[in-house]
Parts: sequence; structure tokens; C-alpha cells
Amino acid sequence: MWTYILRNFFYSILILLGVITVTFALLYIVPGDPARMLLGQRADVASVEAVREELGLNKPLYVQYIKFITKAVQGDLGTSYSTNRNVVKTILDKFPATALLAFSALILSAIIGVLIGIISAVKSYTFLDNASMVFALFGISIPQFAFGLIMALVFGAILKWFPISGYINEGFNHLILPMVTLALRPLAIIARITRSSMLEVLNQDYVRTAKAKGLSNNAVIFKHALRNALNPIVTTLSASLAATLGGAFFIEYIFNWPGIGLLAIDSIMKLDFPMIQGTVLFSAVIFVIINFIVDIVYATLDPKVKLS
Amino acid sequence: MHSDFKSEPDLTQEHNKSLSYYAWKRLRRNKLAMIGLVTLSLLIIIAITADLISPFEPDNQILEYATKPLNFKGEVLVKRITDKNKDENEYIPIKGFLYEKDEKVYYNDFDGIEQSIPRNDLAEGSRDDWNRELTFLLGTDRFGRDVLSRLIFGSRVSLSVGLISESIAICIGLILGAIAGFFRGAPDKVVMWLVNVVWAFPSILFVIAISVVLGKGFWQAFVAIGLTSWVEIARIVRGQFFTLRETEYIEATKALGFKSTRVIIRHILPNSIGPVVVTGTVGLATAIIFEASLSFLGLGVQPPTASWGQMIFDGYKYIIAGTNWGLAVFPSLAIMITVFSVNLLGDGLRDALDPKLKR
Repeated sequence: MWTYILRNFFYSILILLGVITVTFALLYIVPGDPARMLLGQRADVASVEAVREELGLNKPLYVQYIKFITKAVQGDLGTSYSTNRNVVKTILDKFPATALLAFSALILSAIIGVLIGIISAVKSYTFLDNASMVFALFGISIPQFAFGLIMALVFGAILKWFPISGYINEGFNHLILPMVTLALRPLAIIARITRSSMLEVLNQDYVRTAKAKGLSNNAVIFKHALRNALNPIVTTLSASLAATLGGAFFIEYIFNWPGIGLLAIDSIMKLDFPMIQGTVLFSAVIFVIINFIVDIVYATLDPKVKLS
Repeated sequence: MHSDFKSEPDLTQEHNKSLSYYAWKRLRRNKLAMIGLVTLSLLIIIAITADLISPFEPDNQILEYATKPLNFKGEVLVKRITDKNKDENEYIPIKGFLYEKDEKVYYNDFDGIEQSIPRNDLAEGSRDDWNRELTFLLGTDRFGRDVLSRLIFGSRVSLSVGLISESIAICIGLILGAIAGFFRGAPDKVVMWLVNVVWAFPSILFVIAISVVLGKGFWQAFVAIGLTSWVEIARIVRGQFFTLRETEYIEATKALGFKSTRVIIRHILPNSIGPVVVTGTVGLATAIIFEASLSFLGLGVQPPTASWGQMIFDGYKYIIAGTNWGLAVFPSLAIMITVFSVNLLGDGLRDALDPKLKR
């Protein structure tokens, strides 16, 4: 077990090294001089040179690379071009908003997605099943920003039920529209996975036995079938969590939700490269960490993984 | 004797029918998949024939007609085309046609002021040719451009970026996946490491970051999307190679002393193409969404070229203001219909190409 954890741990470190390398490359392939971007176009040559010296931009690439890695490992990603604030600090400040949005949306999508999936599987090939699956495919097909806009139009601008823009410090109903918008895609994926996973399980002998011994339908579905169909559902959920905890970019942007996603898009619009680097790196690190944890949890729960 | 022989080739022919034959047969029975295929074909036809079917040129601005509602009608005078290289019609919006006298045409302009223009400056032909009523079925945007025409031309961007970037992704994914799956060992470790690194980045942010680095534009969008979406293909191909490598017919190619490249290209690849087609179709849907997202942020295709994502971005402010909702909703619907039909087809292909379901 410990060797499994250790091996996974070192592999994660190896991936993080690649992630840092790619992020480093992003800034240094960019046309234009970072020092000049930091100071603005009107800065004089002497101060640009001074900043170049300070940032180590006149050193050879490999020196800069090593310096970038050592600093990144210590949690130092430089300062923003536009606000001059510490990048890591800014990102951590925005994290609670993103985490709140991600968790609430995933809880919503897990509950409704699994329910839709179960109904579809139990009533398979009926109208209800077809309708649910077309809805799920719709959920996968619509770009998040387009769905967000439609939600904002219908429930914000026309019906005026929920506010379109802002954070929960102005009231909890600010969470509703971004949460529902973010939930749609994972909800649709979970509904599809649950359906196919349940269909597979429902055809197995032990489910037939459970039915034959006279158990109620609900007991068969929830106690016997669902428990064994849960594995792929949990995998999908953890993958969605790993993806959304790094920021729900378009949704945060459209609903003006002050999380990492909004920060990322804002810094892209302003070409604030250290902040772009920071948000990209942060999302990737979150992804790797979550996956590492999920792997370990799986290994402790599933004896088959432990052995291999 | 002769007739006996005749029945036999028929039988073998039935057996020799390829996987794609059966796949097509099954696909045809899948109603949803066929709806997807037909819609997608229609969209492709629209994209190809955009010049013929669109009522206006997509970047023809009539500023007087800015942000008009659905089914807006306006009377115009059509100017004569003087520049032979330009085939774009120029319109003078008018409030009313007055009369024609001494080779001059008198009219009320958009502000209601009486104006005149020499008859020679207007298009040739009868009055119907130079004094027309224009209909804007889906209204106009803030530059007075026809929304329907821009939607029609936008399909070109979405479909071509989707197809080309997904082709790039499939090429990279096939090569890397084949190398990893066939040679295993160190090459496999390197490829899988790369896959995991790219996987770790949130793909949309990665696409955006790459296009920031490469600069705005059409080609940059292809490359940025292609560079991020190959990982799915590589994983699928690698998995296919892992299983196929163990089969007896591949063992046989080794016994025959074939070169690795021949075995990969002629013997393993053709048999792993089914899942690649399915993953590629799903990837096409994702690529279309990515392109729209890039355009939405003002990266990707640049104005005045019409693209759906950009139309949504332009119309988005009107939604907040509660007016002219169509400006954002129609392109959203267009993207949705396109991606939806691609996904319907992808789902159908998955079922059709699944050898377990072979009937």
C-alpha cells in the first residue's frame, strides 16, 4: 500500500514538474519583453534594464528556468503586471469563491444527475428515458457561456427572479444562477454515466436474485444495484471536481463571480502574464492533487487496485 | 453444376462485408444519429454555399439600421457598383421615394430630409432593381449588419476550425498513441507523462493561454485547440494497441518478419479506427465549443469575419440591458444545434461501431 502511495506521489511530482515547465514556457514564448510590459510602454531604457536585471531576464534561459522552478516550489509566482499584487496571494484570496461555486454545483449535479440516470435506466427505452437522454445530450452540447447567457436572460432579465451579477456578500441568491449554470454539464455527464452503469448492473444475476426473493423495487435499485454502479459515477464526480476547483472561467466571467476563473479571464484580457501563469498553474496543481487523493482513496477502498 | 457455384460466392460475399458496412447499416437504423447526420450535412451545405444563400454580405453595414428587431423591413436605394473588384452592394436607406425627374431621383433620407441623387449613380435596370425593400429576418446588429447572414457565414468558421483542429489532434494523438502502445517501455512512459501533463491543465484555459501566446487569429485557434485535444485520442489509440498487440494475427506478422511501421500502419491501425472515429467526433464537438469560447473572449477569428462566439459576445451586453436578446440567443442556438448534432452522430457511431453489438 505504502509503495503504491509513494509511487503515485512521485509520479504526481513528475507531472507537476511538467506542468511548471509548460507554464514557464508560456511566458517566455510570448512575443514582447516582460520587463517592458511590467513598466508600460513609456518607461525609459534605464529602468527597463533595471527591471530586467531584477527579474533575471538577461540571464541564460536555463538559469531563469531553474530560478522559476525554485521560486514556484516556494509559492512565489511574482507580482501582477496590472495591480502589482502578489500573484499567489491574489489567487488564494479568490479561491473560497471558486470553491463555494464548485462544491455547490457538484452537489446539485450529483443528486439530480444520479436521479435522472436511475430513472432512465429503470425505465429504459421508454419515452421518459429518451427524453432524459436527449436532455443530457443537450447539457453536454451547449457551451457553458451560452447557457449562462440564456439563464441570465430568462431568470435574470425577463423574470427577474435572481440577480445576474455579484457575490454572496450581497445575498445568497447571487449563487443560484452561476451554480445552476455550472451544474448542467457535470449533471448531464453523470446522468449518462449513471444510466449506462445501472443498465449493466441491472442485468446481472444477483439483481435478478434480489428481485426474485421479493425485495421491493426501491430496495433492489438503491441497495443492490446503485451501490455497485457507483464506481464510475464517483470517478466522474471527482474528475469534475478537479476540473471546476481550478475556476469556472466563463461562468464566473458572465455572472461576475469573484473567483479564480474571473481572475484568469481578466488577466488574459489585460495580458497580465504572471497572473495568467499563476491561474493556469494553480488550476493544474489542484487537478493533480485531487487526482492523487482520489487514486489513494480508490486504492484503500478497492482491493483489486491494491494488489496491482 | 454451374448454378450451384453461383450460390456459393454470394455466401462468402456476405461474410466479407466490412465493419463499416455493418456499422453503416446499424447507424441507419438509429433515428437520433440520422437526425444528427442530416443536420450536420445541412450545416456543411450551408457553410459551403454561404455566398449563394445568405441574403446580404455578412459585413455589409447599414449604420442607420443598427440593432433593429426581428423581421425588420427597410426601403433603400441601391447604388451602382463602380469598383469592379467589389461585388458588395451599397445601400442608401430612405424614408420614402418621392419622384424621378431630369435624370435625378428625389427621396426623403433617413432623417426625413429631402435629398436627390443622379439616376446614373444608382444601379441599372428597372425601378425594382434600384429601389428595393430589404428584409432582415433576424434583425440587425449594432453596425446594422444582417444577423441571419452573419449566422450563415459564421458556420464556416465553426465547422472549419472544428474540423481542422480536430484533424491536427487526431494526427498527433494517433502517432503518439501508436508509439506508446506498440513499443511500450520508455516511449510509453514518456508519452503518458506528456498526456498527464497536458491533461492536468483545464483545457479551455490552456487553449486560451496558447492563443494568447500565439496571437489572435484563425490559424492560431486551430493550433491552440489541436495542441490540447490530442490527449484523448492518444489514450484511446494506446489502449487499442495494447490489446491488439496481444492478438494472434499480430503475432503472425512478427513471425513473418514484418517491419514495425508496416505492422502499425497496415495491421493494427485499421483495426483500432472505430474508437478513434467516435472519440474524434466527440472531440469535434468540443473543438467547436472551444472556438466559440475563444471568439467570445475576442481571441480566435478577428472581426469583421463573422463567428458565432463573437456574435454572442457582442450581443451579451444587450441581454443584460434586456433588449435585442436575439443578438446573443441566435448564435447560441446555432452553436448548440451544431454541437448537438455532432454529439448525436457521435453517440450513434459509438453504438454502431461497437463490435459487441454486431448483429
